Amino acid sequence: MDANWWLDFLLAVLRAATPLIFCALGVLACERAGILNIGVEGSMLAGALAAVLGAVLTGDPWFGVGAAIVTGLMAGLVLAGMTAYLPADQIATGIAFNLVSIGITSFVYRLLLDRGVGLMAPSLNWGPAGGWLEPITARLAVIPPLTWLAVILVVVSQVLLFSTGPGLLWRSVGESARAAHAAGLGVLRVRSAALLGGSVLGALGGAALTLGWVPTFVDNMTMGRGFIGLAAVYFGRWRPDLVLFACLLFGAGEALAFRAQAAGAGLNPYYYLMLPYVLTLAAVAVVGMAMGPRDAGKPFVRG
Amino acid sequence: MRLARAGDRLRRLVTTRTSITLAGVSLLLSLLAMWVCVYVAGADPYHALTAMFRGAFQSRWALTSTLSEWVAITLSGLAVLIPYRAGFFNVGGQGQLEMGGLAAAVVIIYFDAAPALVMAAALAACVLAGAVTVGLPLLLRLGRGASEVTTTIMVNFAALRLMYAMITGPLQDPGAWYGTTPIVPSALRLQSFPAGSGIPVGLFVAVGLAVGAWWLLNSTVFGLHLRAVGGNRPAAAAAGIPAERVLIKAVLLGAALAGLAGGFQYLGHTFRVAEGWSKTWGLVGIPVALLGGSPLGVLLVGFLFAVLETGSRSMQALTGVPAALVFMFQGLPVIIYLALGAGLRRMGKAADSK
Repeated sequence: MDANWWLDFLLAVLRAATPLIFCALGVLACERAGILNIGVEGSMLAGALAAVLGAVLTGDPWFGVGAAIVTGLMAGLVLAGMTAYLPADQIATGIAFNLVSIGITSFVYRLLLDRGVGLMAPSLNWGPAGGWLEPITARLAVIPPLTWLAVILVVVSQVLLFSTGPGLLWRSVGESARAAHAAGLGVLRVRSAALLGGSVLGALGGAALTLGWVPTFVDNMTMGRGFIGLAAVYFGRWRPDLVLFACLLFGAGEALAFRAQAAGAGLNPYYYLMLPYVLTLAAVAVVGMAMGPRDAGKPFVRG
Repeated sequence: MRLARAGDRLRRLVTTRTSITLAGVSLLLSLLAMWVCVYVAGADPYHALTAMFRGAFQSRWALTSTLSEWVAITLSGLAVLIPYRAGFFNVGGQGQLEMGGLAAAVVIIYFDAAPALVMAAALAACVLAGAVTVGLPLLLRLGRGASEVTTTIMVNFAALRLMYAMITGPLQDPGAWYGTTPIVPSALRLQSFPAGSGIPVGLFVAVGLAVGAWWLLNSTVFGLHLRAVGGNRPAAAAAGIPAERVLIKAVLLGAALAGLAGGFQYLGHTFRVAEGWSKTWGLVGIPVALLGGSPLGVLLVGFLFAVLETGSRSMQALTGVPAALVFMFQGLPVIIYLALGAGLRRMGKAADSK
């Protein structure tokens, strides 16, 4: 285990954590506005396929990212219409949405395979910067662009949520939608914005999974990563900084599991993969849910 | 007084009927959507869909598969429905089912006795395992106020990994190159009834349990308490109903049924607990319970979903239309159903306030 091993391992952790960070932020944004975004898994899966498709069809992975964002927006529109405006049960909607997403993505994937569309996406990396910046950018470029984006988004959301006026209003919708409404806030507007943003983040998580890691798509390839993101939010006590830590921890578990599998020795790798869920359950058991937004999961009807 | 009660009953009848109509409309609209998807896939929709429905029954094997799936889906649906009535959203059916199958496998592998005894022990183990699996989320809900939705999802994934660790570790079939338990010896398998008919014994149990659950929910004091607790817990407690105990019973009962689903599938159909052996039966219980709305409804919708599940494979083989279409059909009707229901409530409110 020399320096190279550690560098490799750290990069693997970041690679595994990046999709989780996006998803977790997507869940966090919604929970703070009072929406339980179970559908993040479905948004992620749709984003993963869209990213591969966009990248393959145009040959440019950045278009894949764009396609994922558009897909996320569409998912967000559906979810916002269902759970903010109607409002239908958030949990049931989310679960059904995930099923539909598995169905549509697997369906489209098969159709593409049958038509001979190769689904090997080019991976997303920094182009050469050139010029006098080169020595600096070369070092920064070791970490892939979407990981940078994820970390920046963590910082931005931390500042936005806890140090600005709009962030305070945003959180107030999650704590007490009724009080926020009485104070003149557009609860539904905030919740819709949260779902749009949250679903785009989920889809970006899918893009990070395909363009930044496994460069192709397979059925149900997210394998519950959206739910690990959900777990990270609970483990991280609804704070972006702690959530980032949780995602890195869970990513490390995943990276360790792969390494254990490759080494073919020691503990069964599936025990490492249990880590996120067991830790989250332990965290809930120890500290309870008292710190969560109080109105998360409750539909809001005006009047 | 009597008039009020009549009005109450009428209102209940109307809402039950509305929700049945809504479920029917949602399923029909989803079938229509499927029609369009098949068309997009470049196949003849009529041909593909008849292939699907015929495929679920055309051979002995297909029939047995359909009926077995019906058992698993019905029990998983009841595992969601009964706790749901008490105000507990059990999303953990999948994990409870996996653990049920795994517990039965442990008994089959390690317990050496007369076949009848081993099978009885295996069935008891799967029921117990299902109930134990929901234990932690239940405790966290009661003791910590933690939402069971997130905790049961966490337990699902933990259980799945535990199952994988077991079937690639201590419980792995020594002769297999992939993760699986050894196959159940034929003396220990659940037979079909009547013998050789291909109708799984579990089906009779599942139908019996659904009818029993119908009776339990609609005609017993427990069912009344259940609804009271699910509807308004403080009011139920104020009326002297032991709310906590009712909730615990309903949740344990539901989870035990999910465990039983796993046991039945393992002992009667798949004969192995292996990678992907359980498909998504536990998860499908959720749409089935939501659309079914009652134990008998669960039985009915469960049958439809089981037919689609088996039939879709034959549709894929015959027409090349991807079987993944079924997942869409499991989610889409729920979304339509929820949207229509919420839309109607909204309209009703608007009419009331006028």
